[in-house]
Formats: sequence, structure tokens, C-alpha cells
Amino acid sequence: MNLKELPLVEKPGTEQTRDIVVYALSTCGFCKRALAFLEEKGFAYRYIYVDQLPIETKNEIKKILKERFNENVAFPFAVIDDKEHLVGFIQPDWVRTLGLKEGE
Amino acid sequence: MNPKTLEQTRLFTQMVAQKQGWALNPEASFYETLVAGLMTNFNRYGYFLCPCRDSDGSREADKNAICPCVWAKLDVPEFGNCYCALYLSKDKLSSGSAPAAIPDRRYEA
Repeated sequence: MNLKELPLVEKPGTEQTRDIVVYALSTCGFCKRALAFLEEKGFAYRYIYVDQLPIETKNEIKKILKERFNENVAFPFAVIDDKEHLVGFIQPDWVRTLGLKEGE
Repeated sequence: MNPKTLEQTRLFTQMVAQKQGWALNPEASFYETLVAGLMTNFNRYGYFLCPCRDSDGSREADKNAICPCVWAKLDVPEFGNCYCALYLSKDKLSSGSAPAAIPDRRYEA
């Protein structure tokens, strides 16, 4: 399976300098908060609710992400520019990785 | 299996909090997101899988992540909230500080 073939939901935004893909759960509070954070900051991003996928597909996604980033998959799991990643919505980490200024 | 309602799910979280000596997240919209997530998981899997963790495919594989998850008993005293921030310690609640995301112990060695 190729992650690029997943049916990601596209959210438009004025800030389009980063390629942001968020693997999230539809049931999770911090996932919702992370997506709202990106929206509030104006980032264009793509996301997918992993819990709504067939078990084979989501297991494959978790396996690929774990091998690629050498990290256990927890949610939200964001991949930035196909090279950096963020696990969980720890806001200061997202601010730093996305190049925002502290307090932004 | 009878599906759970939001009200039944709220009651479940209240009973867990009371039994464990924890508080519920006081931020209403965040709390309601988690209640809805727990309800979705019950109606989808047949058990209250933690709304912030994905199913590994069976009740047996998920048993430690069924709410209240086994790690909450470590996380609430240590961090002041569980991984989801559904449950808070009473100290955290009275401090007024916002619950934060914490590391997931699920796949720790």
C-alpha cells in the first residue's frame, strides 16, 4: 500500500508552504484540537480518520508510519513535508515544527 | 447488543470518575467530544475503547485500552490527567491548569 493513495480529506488554507498530513481518530479530543489548531493558523492540510478505515488498511498505515519514523503510532500523528513527524498534540512541538513563533 | 446513548456514556464516565476518585474534564466541549467518541467506540466495537486510541482488532488485543485504561491509573497521579484528558486528578482540577497531551504508554516496552 502507498500512503499517497489514501483518500485524504483536503482542507484549504492560506498558509500553503508546508505539506501537512494528519492521521487522526474521529473520536479523539486532542485530534480534534490539532485539526482546529491548523485551521486557526491558516494552514492548508490533509487528514484522514484512521478509525474509519478497514482494519487491514489501518494496520498497514500504522506499520508504514512506524517503520518510516521509528516511532509507535499514537494519534494525532502528523507528517510534515514528508520528512518530519509529530505525535500527539503537544502544542509547543507543533508551533516549533511548523515554524511559528512562540505565542503564535 | 444494545447501543449506548450519550446519556448512558456520560453516566459511565461519572461512575468511573467516582470509583477511581478522579474528576471529569471541566471543559464542556472537550468532554462532550470524548463522551461522543466513547459512545461511538462502544457502538462500533462492543466495549468502551479509549476514544484516543485505535482498535488493534479484537477485545483481547484492546483489553488494556478499554476505558478506564490500565495506564490511566499511572497517568492521572503522574501527569494530572489520563492520555485522553477525560479524567483528571482532583488536584489538577482544583489547580485550574489546563490538562495537556501526555505520552502514550500503550506500546512502551
